[in-house]
Amino acid sequence: MNSFSLSHRLLLRQGRSGSLSLLVAGLLVATAALVAVSVFTDRVGRALERQAGEALAADIAINSRSRIPERFEAEARRRGLDTARLITLNTALFVGEDSLLVEVKGVSDGYPLRGTLETAPRSNVAGATSNDIPAVGEAWMAPRGLRQLGAEVGDIALFGVHELPITRALTFEPDRSGGPFLLAPRLLVHLDDLESSELLGPGTRARHRLLAAGDEASVDEFDDWLRGEIDPSVHRILTASDADDQTGAALAQARRFLGVAALTTLILAAVGVLLSSLRFARSQRDLVALLKSFGASGSEVMRALGLMLFWLVAIAIVLGGLLGLLAQAAIAHALAEGQGQALPPPRLWPVLSAGSFTLLMAIGFALPPLLNLRQVPPMRILNQSLDQRVGLSWILWAVPIICAMAIPIIQLGNFQLAAIVLGASLALAGLLATAGWVAMRASGALASKARASWRFGLAGLRRRRAAGVIQITALGLGLMALLLLMIVRTELLGQWRGSLPESTPDHFAVNIQPDQVDAVRQTLLDAGAQRLQIRPMANVNLVDSTGELNDDRFGRQVNVSWIDALPPANRVAAGEFFTAESTGEVSLAERWADRTGVRLGDTLTFESGAEQFTARVTSIRDVEWDSFNVNFFILMSPDAGERLPHQNIASFYLADDDSGALRAISRSYPNVSTIDVGALLERVSDIIDRVSSAAQVVFVFTLLAGLIVLLAALEATRDERRHESALIRTLGADNALIRRGLLIEYGIMALIAASLATFGAALVGWLLARELFDFSYQPSALLFAIGFTSAFVLIVGSGWWGNRSVLATPPVRILRTGKA
Amino acid sequence: MSHPPSSGRILACERVGYTVQAPGGQLDILKDISIELKAGETLAIVGASGSGKTTLLGLLAGLERPTAGRVELVGTDLSDLDEDARARLRRRRVGFVFQSFHLLPSLTALENVMLALEIGGFSEARERAVSALGDVGLSHRLNHYPRQMSGGEQQRVAIARAFAGDPAILFADEPTGNLDRRTGDSIADLLFTINQDHGTALVLVTHDLRLAKRCARLEEMESGRLVEGSAGSGAPHPAGNLTAEHVD
Repeated sequence: MNSFSLSHRLLLRQGRSGSLSLLVAGLLVATAALVAVSVFTDRVGRALERQAGEALAADIAINSRSRIPERFEAEARRRGLDTARLITLNTALFVGEDSLLVEVKGVSDGYPLRGTLETAPRSNVAGATSNDIPAVGEAWMAPRGLRQLGAEVGDIALFGVHELPITRALTFEPDRSGGPFLLAPRLLVHLDDLESSELLGPGTRARHRLLAAGDEASVDEFDDWLRGEIDPSVHRILTASDADDQTGAALAQARRFLGVAALTTLILAAVGVLLSSLRFARSQRDLVALLKSFGASGSEVMRALGLMLFWLVAIAIVLGGLLGLLAQAAIAHALAEGQGQALPPPRLWPVLSAGSFTLLMAIGFALPPLLNLRQVPPMRILNQSLDQRVGLSWILWAVPIICAMAIPIIQLGNFQLAAIVLGASLALAGLLATAGWVAMRASGALASKARASWRFGLAGLRRRRAAGVIQITALGLGLMALLLLMIVRTELLGQWRGSLPESTPDHFAVNIQPDQVDAVRQTLLDAGAQRLQIRPMANVNLVDSTGELNDDRFGRQVNVSWIDALPPANRVAAGEFFTAESTGEVSLAERWADRTGVRLGDTLTFESGAEQFTARVTSIRDVEWDSFNVNFFILMSPDAGERLPHQNIASFYLADDDSGALRAISRSYPNVSTIDVGALLERVSDIIDRVSSAAQVVFVFTLLAGLIVLLAALEATRDERRHESALIRTLGADNALIRRGLLIEYGIMALIAASLATFGAALVGWLLARELFDFSYQPSALLFAIGFTSAFVLIVGSGWWGNRSVLATPPVRILRTGKA
Repeated sequence: MSHPPSSGRILACERVGYTVQAPGGQLDILKDISIELKAGETLAIVGASGSGKTTLLGLLAGLERPTAGRVELVGTDLSDLDEDARARLRRRRVGFVFQSFHLLPSLTALENVMLALEIGGFSEARERAVSALGDVGLSHRLNHYPRQMSGGEQQRVAIARAFAGDPAILFADEPTGNLDRRTGDSIADLLFTINQDHGTALVLVTHDLRLAKRCARLEEMESGRLVEGSAGSGAPHPAGNLTAEHVD
């Protein structure tokens, strides 16, 4: 008979009797959990990206100081993408007698490709979604600009050679970026008007942008194509993730959270597969010996078992994949209802990668013990003690498991995160195994001194030394993964949310003159403004550097501020921050320094009016751009304030401007503009909400995988335990003694698993928070309480539950049949 | 090396020994054993627990190779054969009956019998299995699982499985050891009847002297050796030094 049909028969016949159920359940839940988690996180991740895409008004954009080649747009269209062009330019705008520096944005039809514009019929009216752009011969202006000019909708704006009527107030544009307080008010016109305004002559500092959007695959392909075509010194490609400081950072953070959640599920799935495979392989030893005694050769048996494993994995992948897809669809449906925004459709590749993970896991964990079965001597059928042949090399285990683990690492694209979670799990596994081994030895020594139920319990641990070490390791790892996810779900996410507290600044006031600072401050405080910061700001030209500048975009006008101590949300990455007494020093934000190529120790020359001055770079700062504080690329030592003409910027939180303080400020100080960034804050807050929901879902699956691990671990020794219990009941032990014995045995396992798992989870949580999430995480007492309680409830509880039939069955039956 | 069993010799072992590594050093389980058996002949090996009789059965059946001496089974010297080659030899020529039945719990009676036939490459596995189960009086229990059968019925299935392929030699390890006396007797009757019908050689390991006496020849083992005076003698029913009906 060939191996193929033997494997078929064994599978069908054993499967029907349920003997394969735990292995199949292990593989199935692992696959289902993985598929659900990876498909769902993929969908949430793409939804977040799409949301961030709104901040770009496109999926991908190309920026340039010069006109963007036609062929780029033609290529995007050829690939089925929608395109739009825009040009922005700072220019003076005249309305009646008044003039104002505005940022004109000329947009082509189709803009914005993502997100929507909002406009209002007058400057003091709330905006509503608008589905078009200014027609040729019309202009839309931001209410701030209208206020500053004392103008209103209906007035005529002179810009370039054109006289355009202002037809609407522009209240929101999705791709308004670059720090709202740094920009001149917006004037939105049709691209044709800007092109014919004669403002785009040689030497103008217009910024050109080509937008493209469409289905993900085409965008990705276009992105790849584009990177081979552009001249990096002229063109810059922007994608959703670098659209905007605040949402970009939130998106990266969200990906990390989901990554940790997915990884912990993977660890559990791996442990589950390992345990069920080991048990499966062990249970096949008698079968192999029997088949061999009938004349089946070792290779036939192996091929048959290998094929059988393959069928099992294939069934688990298909069923688990379907189950996972169904589950994530149900969850996505439930979540979408509350948010009014559907997630993007599922993609196939997370399913495929989850499937290959399960396959490799099965090959790594289940195949070696199965291959070891080749070594089972047929003599085992007559005498089990003669089955002592050695197993196969560890390399057989290691290679597929390393391959399997490589999948999530590649998928996440975050090596540091994977290294922390997987490395810590590995270290914990080692610690658990060692602790388990020590405990087994110690319990052996103690058992000889103990009495009755203690002896029974302790001796139980000693007898099942090998199984006990595996059980403690698996239980501890499973528990750690669950606790870690709990930390991520509740504590780290809570702290992230806490990093945007209720009173996160949601307004900026710009252009406050030095003599107005005190009055503005008082007015704002009286109106209930919180977290008020007022900082000086000057506009200077960077004209020279002792080092080399590699990016001319930063070579001209820059905004600088000065301060006497390191501001909040800043960390010194290199050098030393100046003091109140320092002079002629400058501190740069890391991002700006990286882009321009300025290094610590370089001396920069600035120009303000007719005056030139130099400052030496003495520190580089790491800035939390998503903190919604007023942050500057360039901070100078306090002496700069004495020579630079400047204005001030305020940031503050004002929930409801009931008192009309902002209007009062605008009236009393017409030069001061206030900007509401509440919408941006809401977007970040929405991202946190989505990640929280996603983590919640992942948690359910992780819990399910954890339960499988638990059952598999406890199931491993159940038959033996039953038999022993029956035996000592026959010898006259009462049920109470057996119960106490089981309690002691499982209790000790729970204690070791809980101690190390809680400690491990706290350590990994702390490491992740410090290295990846930029929080300072303090493990709470709750973690330890939950860790220990759940370990005892789950391990002791399920051990108890699993063995309850022992107490309910006459011992003689168990002894005779070996089954309860 | 293969010889046609023209001489009628189905099994032979010469100066067979078996040594294993134990924590305290080498342990000799079997020493210097020589036995010969002709086609259709029945041989009982008796001895106390731990005397090595089951290990000897395993070596004679080619389940393991001796560490000394040689075994020849159905005309083939097992010394030169690896495990797979020995397995191929067993396929159609050797049958087994075990003390603890060793039925696969997940297979029905019929499937248990069929599995052995399928491994042996028999073409009409189902028909043969049905007929073999009929021979042991279990036609009505074809689709029952082992757990649904009594011990006696399970051993009947095992006997059907052993004879279904019509082997040249049958090895039985304490076939009635797990059964009460009455059931044991009826199983023994069945075993010897079918054995006679098929003309199969039988090697029976037991410590039940009553059962052993039903064989044409009897060898006694003690501490891994055949007791002198009985080894290879071919004398029917030597009582040796066994005085009790059961030796435990």
